Amino acid sequence: MSSPPQLAATPLMDRLIARTVRINLPLSVHFDLTYRCNERCIHCYLDHEDHGELSTSECVDILEQLAQSKTLFLTFSGGEIFLRRDFEEILVAARRLHFDISLKSNALLITAERAEMLKRHGVRRVQISVYSAEPGVHDAITKVPGSLQRSLAAIPLLQRQDIQVKLACPLMKQNLLAYRGVMALAERLGVPYVLDMTITPMMDGNHGPLEHRVSADALLPILQDEALRACGTRSPALRENASPVIGSAVSSVIESSAYDDLPCSAGHNSCYISPYGDVYACVQLPIAAGNLRAASFEKIWKQAPAFDRVRNVRETALPICSHCEIRSYCERCPGLAWMEGGDLLGAYDRACSLAEQKARIAGVRSPMSAWHERTLSGRNSQEASVRPSPKLLPVVN
Amino acid sequence: MNLTANGVWQRNPALAWREIDDETVIISPGESVMHELNDTGSLVWRSIDGHRNAEELAALLVARYDVTRETALADTLSLLEELTSRKLLLPADAPSGGAVR
Repeated sequence: MSSPPQLAATPLMDRLIARTVRINLPLSVHFDLTYRCNERCIHCYLDHEDHGELSTSECVDILEQLAQSKTLFLTFSGGEIFLRRDFEEILVAARRLHFDISLKSNALLITAERAEMLKRHGVRRVQISVYSAEPGVHDAITKVPGSLQRSLAAIPLLQRQDIQVKLACPLMKQNLLAYRGVMALAERLGVPYVLDMTITPMMDGNHGPLEHRVSADALLPILQDEALRACGTRSPALRENASPVIGSAVSSVIESSAYDDLPCSAGHNSCYISPYGDVYACVQLPIAAGNLRAASFEKIWKQAPAFDRVRNVRETALPICSHCEIRSYCERCPGLAWMEGGDLLGAYDRACSLAEQKARIAGVRSPMSAWHERTLSGRNSQEASVRPSPKLLPVVN
Repeated sequence: MNLTANGVWQRNPALAWREIDDETVIISPGESVMHELNDTGSLVWRSIDGHRNAEELAALLVARYDVTRETALADTLSLLEELTSRKLLLPADAPSGGAVR
């Protein structure tokens, strides 16, 4: 026998991530079951109309394919998942297939009975969007009066079932100062939280939500807030629970140092599936690799050129960012690079500005990203190039 | 705990698990704790069906690996004991509603 049957030692997550990245195994999948929603959040990146959602049997078939492909971590999200009448049926299938199940929800529709149902079907964690501890601020963002009260009412119902709760607070102009209240609320409830400074364009490319985005300058007090550095979950268990308090409320990537020269898990050991069966590397990287109504998950995951493009990205080979002196302060996201700058390998203003702010806080003098430097010199050379050439233009005296 | 070769187990139905590359990753949702089994442990885990006893599970190891029956049985009992203490396994006659989260 090669070795006695036994439980291996921890830490396991990094090893699991390294292994699944090496063989491109889709360990973690974020599956949006619907884009319909009972809130109308002002910054939302989704079109809430139903354009032909996957049926129950199509969803179950996809889950079976994912289990076959060895997916373990499954996140159901939306839209609001409880608007799907067949949600319990889908959960039953997910439980039968032994997934580790997490949900993202606004929790408006979570009752005691539903919390018990979630427990019965093996849901481990529910992430709930909370924009402020002040009802006026939260409800103005969701556009649903009473929504904060209803979302918060669900938390003890879930905790009573031993389901983990995590608060997610995207920060925008309307709630920038609310983060301290959300931190205190999380502390009081004994739950972890994530503050997300990322407001993205809509998935169809519409930049409308960006009008709510806070400038990098205005984020300075938050980036400097020592309380944020000190906080976080106390859970010693799965690394995904120990995620930083500033991060993404949207994507379901697993934080790890095991990605090495890769930007993140997207396309390497994680992906995103839309309610219409489109497969993307990440919800924040909406380049469709294929559709599950037309091809199997395995075929899309293994053969789609869109995944090849993402898998070929290496941090050290980025044409501009790899030469950037403040790269270590930057949290460049390839999806946002594509959505905001149109280039998977490129830099984008938001990441550069935030990196400069962080570098400044860390004591770097006059930090400037490589892309900003280039843009500046490009502007100068462009200014020079449009000066009238004496060879071409008549000299006017 | 003293397990016998005739004991029969079932996997705790509350667990999430997946066999990846001959190793099995198991997650207890209640505590969010991750466990991992090596290749031989994975063979035992996937063969636990609520019917096979420890001796029959050990026989699967003997058939697949270069190991004596005595060693395989001792190792299997040791693994079953560890998995049971971590609440990853339940006695086969335990009601599934008694699954520990």
